[in-house]
Amino acid sequence: MTATTLKIETFFKERKCALPDIGMLQPADPILNAAGEDIRRRIFMTNDQLGRDLCLRPEFTIPVCLDHLQSTKEKMRYAYVGKVFRQRADEPAEFMQAGIEDIGAANAIAADAKSLLQSIELLRMLGKNRLSVTIGDQAIFEAVLTSLGLPKTWRERLLRAFGDKTRLSADLDRLSGETSEQSADLPVDIIQAIREKDSLTLTTFIESEMAKASMSSQHGRSSDEIAKRMMEKAELAETHLSDDKRKVLETFLALDLRLKNADRKLWSFARKFNIPLGDPLEDFHKRIVAIDKLGLENVAIRYKSAFGRRLDYYTGFVFEVNGVGKSAAKPLAGGGRYDGLLTVLGSKAKTPAIGFAVYVDRVVGPRGAA
Amino acid sequence: MTLTIALPSKGRLKEDAIAAFAKAGYKIELPKDQRSYRGTVKGMDDVEIAFLSASEIARELIAGNIALGVTGEDLAREAIADADAYLEFKAKLGFGGANVIVAVPESWIDVDTMADLDDVAAEFRQRHHRQLRIATKYWQLTQNWFADHGIAMYRIVESLGATEGAPAAGTADVIVDITSTGSTLVANHLKILSDGIILRSEANLIASRKAKLSREDRATLKEVCAAVSKSLK
Repeated sequence: MTATTLKIETFFKERKCALPDIGMLQPADPILNAAGEDIRRRIFMTNDQLGRDLCLRPEFTIPVCLDHLQSTKEKMRYAYVGKVFRQRADEPAEFMQAGIEDIGAANAIAADAKSLLQSIELLRMLGKNRLSVTIGDQAIFEAVLTSLGLPKTWRERLLRAFGDKTRLSADLDRLSGETSEQSADLPVDIIQAIREKDSLTLTTFIESEMAKASMSSQHGRSSDEIAKRMMEKAELAETHLSDDKRKVLETFLALDLRLKNADRKLWSFARKFNIPLGDPLEDFHKRIVAIDKLGLENVAIRYKSAFGRRLDYYTGFVFEVNGVGKSAAKPLAGGGRYDGLLTVLGSKAKTPAIGFAVYVDRVVGPRGAA
Repeated sequence: MTLTIALPSKGRLKEDAIAAFAKAGYKIELPKDQRSYRGTVKGMDDVEIAFLSASEIARELIAGNIALGVTGEDLAREAIADADAYLEFKAKLGFGGANVIVAVPESWIDVDTMADLDDVAAEFRQRHHRQLRIATKYWQLTQNWFADHGIAMYRIVESLGATEGAPAAGTADVIVDITSTGSTLVANHLKILSDGIILRSEANLIASRKAKLSREDRATLKEVCAAVSKSLK
């Protein structure tokens, strides 16, 4: 136990957080299920004698959530400090993280502001005073997509790319272009059935194809699901994203606003293009008021409309805290609302949650953290 | 010093590799004892042939234990994420051709492209409470390919044989596999996505970037590569 670790634990105890005992070795399945196969390349995996996949904990959020699901508590604030293991391009794979996970808090806006505040307090306790913050909110992007009346498939596709500029613009290109190749190898009557939205003929055909392959629809996609998506796809093949709507999206995604103006500017953006943003904008406004009330000094906060996390269980507010000047390149802390995660991990009840993690080594140097 | 060249130890791949070297003017002499895994090249005392399994050749080249070898590009690229940093692909040898592909059930009439698969993968968890499963033995190639297409929401189910049967058996939804004629896929009612060819693989002459060689061996290696390349034209 080092001085830094002790200081951080004291900080958490003062804030009445529980400090669960999280093992360094974690079952890999929940992590791979939640984050996707791609993370396998960045984590350290091993097996036990029964062949179960284990990994060195790559982060704390998922293990903390799993721990919470084992308990009977509805809400709880957890904190942790310890080593995590992830393969990174130009930094050591073994590094310290400390953070708070606020699970089940009913007042989301207050929890959002509190999470941001405590990440900044922790960084300050560790000696970083001048900070800059970037915030984002996927719910606003979602509201823009809905308000523009885009088809569900498109909305979902764009939402999946949210947070990744290259992918998002590639997706916009694809939706703008007229790349509507019809499924070449289907029999004529089936192509006609697709056009006429004759689901019975389609599902019968799909089921006969499944039978040929001796596939059971118990295991995976059902004939209904396939037929439905086929018809949707055919319908969309005939349309494309109009230049007007694309311009609205691009204007939106370029927004980079000082926090103080952000809600007003967003509101005038919505009015200019006549796309009401409803509750998400209302929540956004409330959150800005809540953050403003924190009275954070020496912190420059900006809202970037395109800022988001690529993991699908991050659903709304996200933030990143950087230093200023030379050390500003890599974030010192990252946080966000992950209302989708506990469901993914098996929770029956919808459970709101938000958390942040501080990269301790980036703040105090690997020696200070070790 | 001696330069070791690794060739596949079995089957068609072995015969074709020996033939390719013969065409380039290197007559490979096999040991009298058929069980020996060493050979020589007629008239070249400074070259030794090692017969190894094709996937072992890929690994040994990457480790730099062997300087030059013949193996499938699929195995080489599967063995390590950043293959070009370790290996120099000197010549495509024109045999052992097969493609590593993404295939889905023919009954998935709505899925023709990787973009379709992206949509399906994304909604899989919502609908079926689990991720899309891909049966394959090609971990590396699959992970790279799906990452390039921005797809993260899937799980790999390792399959070391009869991968094409996995969708029917219900152990996976789609497959990444190698195919030369495609007939196995057709027989199993699977179709290749129109942009689903991950790699057009064939046997390659491959040099290791990590092997430490004497100047003489380096010169021999260059000479062999040049002669093999020339004989292919």
